[in-house]
Amino acid sequence: MSSEILHDTTPSHESPAKVARSGRNSAIYLIGAIARNTFREAVRDRVLYNLLLFALLLIGGAIFLGELSGGQEAKIIVDLGLSATLLFGVFIAIFVGVGLVYKEIEKRTLYAILSKPVSRGQFLFGKYVGLCLTLLVNVLVMGTGVSLALAYVAKGWHPLIVAIWPATFLIYFELALITGVALLFSSFSSPALSALLTFLVFIIGHLSADLKAFASSLGGVNARWFFNALYYLLPNLSHYSFITAAAHGDLPTATTFLLAVAYAFVYIAVLLSAATLIFNQRNFK
Amino acid sequence: MRVRKSLFRLIPVILLGLAVAIGLSRWMDQHRQELPSASSQEEQLYLQGKTVKRLSLAFNGLAADWYWMRSLQYVGRKIVKYEDSQQGQRGLDDLAALDLRLLPSLLRIATTLDPKFLAPYEYGAMILPTFNRDEAIALVQSGIQQNPDDWRLRQHLGYIYWQANDYAKASETYNSGAKLPGAPRWMAEMSARTAAEGGSRRAAREMYQHLYDESDDDQVKDLLRRRLMQVESFEDRDRIRFVIGQYVKQFGRCPATWREISAVVQKLGVRVDPATATPIDPSGSPYELVKNGCDVDLQIGSLVPYK
Repeated sequence: MSSEILHDTTPSHESPAKVARSGRNSAIYLIGAIARNTFREAVRDRVLYNLLLFALLLIGGAIFLGELSGGQEAKIIVDLGLSATLLFGVFIAIFVGVGLVYKEIEKRTLYAILSKPVSRGQFLFGKYVGLCLTLLVNVLVMGTGVSLALAYVAKGWHPLIVAIWPATFLIYFELALITGVALLFSSFSSPALSALLTFLVFIIGHLSADLKAFASSLGGVNARWFFNALYYLLPNLSHYSFITAAAHGDLPTATTFLLAVAYAFVYIAVLLSAATLIFNQRNFK
Repeated sequence: MRVRKSLFRLIPVILLGLAVAIGLSRWMDQHRQELPSASSQEEQLYLQGKTVKRLSLAFNGLAADWYWMRSLQYVGRKIVKYEDSQQGQRGLDDLAALDLRLLPSLLRIATTLDPKFLAPYEYGAMILPTFNRDEAIALVQSGIQQNPDDWRLRQHLGYIYWQANDYAKASETYNSGAKLPGAPRWMAEMSARTAAEGGSRRAAREMYQHLYDESDDDQVKDLLRRRLMQVESFEDRDRIRFVIGQYVKQFGRCPATWREISAVVQKLGVRVDPATATPIDPSGSPYELVKNGCDVDLQIGSLVPYK
């Protein structure tokens, strides 16, 4: 769909061709244009419709669960709301993420894009940023939904209304990382296989503490070295698991939060670089 | 033409396949292997807390909530089933008869998944002692290990020891809780009271009242409300027995009806129904004169716990 901006000659669509003509073909501008169009594409794909469903489910669930939870409505709303934010987000990241490149290849719009002054790396990065923007809107709306549900059950102010936001942003960075993984796999594999592999990385990423414990329990040096290597190479998503703590009003420290964000940036940079490397090698003839 | 030919070939295969599948399914249902009665009697827990924690990935809080609600539903279902079979009122004080064998495991899993989730510890402290005191103590002690700064868990542990008539340990536990940040002053007072008065009614009333004030759980609050009513009813019945004793001294026989003593009973602070002149218990049910009017008891159906 980003090809649409490249072919479009209307003034509202900033195609790279037009950018080239007007002399504004900076890398940032190109990436921004691809990102904006990826976001529009996601909106047109009705990805954001899940938000309405989510909000309705959450409010309905809050009323219903209040009767069943023995006075634990607020905790259950936070657990349910943030878990749903993560789960919905992971599904969007995986299923939209794996199709980002594949769809362009399948529809042959990629050829039109790459025939313009857009590098493959810029194309990938633009796609990535566009999906991250979609996820950001998702996470913000879902976080607001959780806050509103809390206000509803508390009939006013509740301390968790604010306390959930650091955990919500950590969920966003986890989703950004998962999107990077999906993009990497989709740069060389089919959508179905990419989705499966990305989902496995999500699972392993949350079991990495067990991987380390398993490594330390092994007798053989080679096996221990292998599992330790896996532990450090695979993304450690437990750094972003603050849902349960948030439900008790516990906040991550500033150091924990910033280190998790830094880890996400570094890992995403690695993933996008690897994706670009593989994508550059691909022959689309 | 070829398409139509293959269609005519495939439709019978599909229909035949479906028919065979349905037939097989029915046959398997009829010849299903009987499971041992112990495992088919009621639901079983197949997973341990640590395994569930691993499997729940980032959703351990949600899984803990699910196990917590399952615990509440489990107890609620057992109560309803028991009431249906007994045709009588039965409160949480009678849980020993309900065979709640899964409850300790359910609460264990909930607290393993989310060790800071205090509600299951509180619920366990209130309900488990009725049939498994050791499990209740172990559950709350594990909560204290995970939440060393939470004074409420020490309040619950103190309550379990107090119920077991281990007043020294109850006092010690209250005392350790009183030293924690945020602990109310009455924790120290409860420590002193349990040490000095043990199982006195005053100590009991304060114990139940504080637990009632701190709890958010409706089931637990209901249990404590009944316990508070029970303490009040014990005092009512002592007063009524005193009046009966005075009556016997004066008339040489026990009263035949409530009307003969209701005015004196009311003066001593027992609620009396003005229409029938019958003293009523804290739950609103009338007391009953028993042993030919020489003693007083709760009426069957009263919400005040008997034991």
